[in-house]
Amino acid sequence: MSFLSISGVTKSFGANMVVKGFDLSVDRGEFVSFLGPSGCGKTTVLRMVAGFEQPTSGRIVVDGKEITHLAPNKRNIGMVFQAYALFPNMTVFGNVAFGLKIAGMQKPDIETRVTEMLKLIGLEQLADRYPYQMSGGQQQRVALARALAPKPQVLLLDEPLSALDAKIRVSLREEIRDIQKKLGITTIFVTHDQEEALSISDRLVVMHAGVADQIGTPFEVYNRPATQFVANFVGTLNTFPVTVEDPAGGRVSMNGITFALAEAIPAPRGASITLAVRPESVQFGAVPGCDVVLPATIEQVHFQGSVIRLRAKAGSLNLSLDTFNRPDSPPPAVGSTSPISLSAKELIILSV
Amino acid sequence: MKKGFPLVSTIIVIISALFFLVPLYATFQFSLQALRGQLSFEAYNVVFADPRFLSTVSFSIIASAAAIVLGSIVVVPTAYWVRLKLPKFRPVIEFITLLPLIVPPIVLVFGYIRLYGSNSMLPLLNDDLGTNLLLVIGYVVLSLPYMYRSIDNGLSVIDIATLTEAAEILGASRLRTIWEVIFPNVRSAIVSGAFLTFSISFGEFVLASLLDRDAFGPYLVLIGEDLAYEPAALATMSFALTWGMMILMQLFASRKPGQRLLSRKSPPTAIAPAQKAAA
Repeated sequence: MSFLSISGVTKSFGANMVVKGFDLSVDRGEFVSFLGPSGCGKTTVLRMVAGFEQPTSGRIVVDGKEITHLAPNKRNIGMVFQAYALFPNMTVFGNVAFGLKIAGMQKPDIETRVTEMLKLIGLEQLADRYPYQMSGGQQQRVALARALAPKPQVLLLDEPLSALDAKIRVSLREEIRDIQKKLGITTIFVTHDQEEALSISDRLVVMHAGVADQIGTPFEVYNRPATQFVANFVGTLNTFPVTVEDPAGGRVSMNGITFALAEAIPAPRGASITLAVRPESVQFGAVPGCDVVLPATIEQVHFQGSVIRLRAKAGSLNLSLDTFNRPDSPPPAVGSTSPISLSAKELIILSV
Repeated sequence: MKKGFPLVSTIIVIISALFFLVPLYATFQFSLQALRGQLSFEAYNVVFADPRFLSTVSFSIIASAAAIVLGSIVVVPTAYWVRLKLPKFRPVIEFITLLPLIVPPIVLVFGYIRLYGSNSMLPLLNDDLGTNLLLVIGYVVLSLPYMYRSIDNGLSVIDIATLTEAAEILGASRLRTIWEVIFPNVRSAIVSGAFLTFSISFGEFVLASLLDRDAFGPYLVLIGEDLAYEPAALATMSFALTWGMMILMQLFASRKPGQRLLSRKSPPTAIAPAQKAAA
């Protein structure tokens, strides 16, 4: 039995249907990310869980209790907003204490709980500060403490890192994940940043045009994208057309080379299908054990630090490939020729 | 690079300053001439010695304070609600709040007298309490353009939609959200609206006179009919009071939460609502 279940939820604003039959079950203590471009409906789903929007149809159940039409202030859900939304008139202490005060907690208990929460986010020395006296990262941590203080059943994070600069974003997302694991709180995290979603989630929901295109672990979603959209949106992908030679055996041909895929192909012999491969699955040089080796010309070299991304042209094919940086061998020169290799088992069938 | 001396602007400033200050100075100087051949505060002494002065001033202060309280209780939730839920109606509400500038107070008060007279459904004018209430309500109406604008500006600075949602998801009811989150965050706007309300109602004549209240405005006019120097003294004092209010307004409006008044020097960030209202 799942802890949070969203079933058949749709939402229309006038004639515009922004969420179309959304289903999701989240286990207790799970960290699920909604990933998608802006306008895909991910925030709308989150806001329906919070109660700020009413679903046009469908049900939302938390811990066996239906909350679909419950007011937000009756739901016992914590939420962190993109714009922090700390109360400017209250100190850090006042902000974190707000939910507890509303819940009718006694003063000494509030003090204990707030101190505990501030310790959790490592800001106990800033209890008397006002929001305008703190950095964005600190404000967002206070917002997290405020959301967690009343011990909510579910924590909702609405792009909490988008307003922060790159370094803080990485450190804070790790902190959020640590705290989430420590408290074992069921969490939904909305983001449009795939790296963020891949790195901290138990599972991700990739959303596109109001539909959950794929729900799975980051590993599954990245390596086995279910739709063309997911394949393109999550990570970088090389795509190229091939001709089917033997559907049952998974054999295809391209540029005169024939090779076998890991699975049977649901298309007739002679059909043209699209295959995809991640840049890190394409290797520089002729690598033994790889069944596809193509002569190629290096067209671009992007040095990114630990990884070097190359752009190579092999016949009519343009491929991106990643190699690791090694201090003893400089990256290949633009215009040089070298074979590139890939293993047919790592190819993904994108469209038939 | 140093800029040249701004001659033209300086001249303009001096001329406009003279335009305001000369009559003021003349009034002040005149008020000091109650005793022939010497400057003295005799006129002020006479004014302070008059028991009607104290009673009318205290009546007007109480009435103005009541108008401030009632005004903020009415305007803050209204402006908040309009911004949050009915943004389409904002121009309509804005127009309504401007009506007191278009419709003269005399029309308002005659309307009140007709509506709430002794033969009406709600005969507020039958007793003192009802009449005082009507006066306060009238003051709220007169100050509506300033109060609403000032509070609406205050609301535009904070992200009320997100703050409301943040309070709601933490369990707060609407009323509690307004009281604990919205009110404190527009406090400086309320304060500046309050001082403007005070300046308007304190010396107000038309409503007070036609509702037959012993307020400061009618007293000022009464004195003006009989005496020469004392009205000048009163006028000077009420100017001083208004200016004092403006200074207080600046101090409060530019204060940040957690900052004590005058404790730290900070540049006044908010534009004084008086300037806004005048524009």
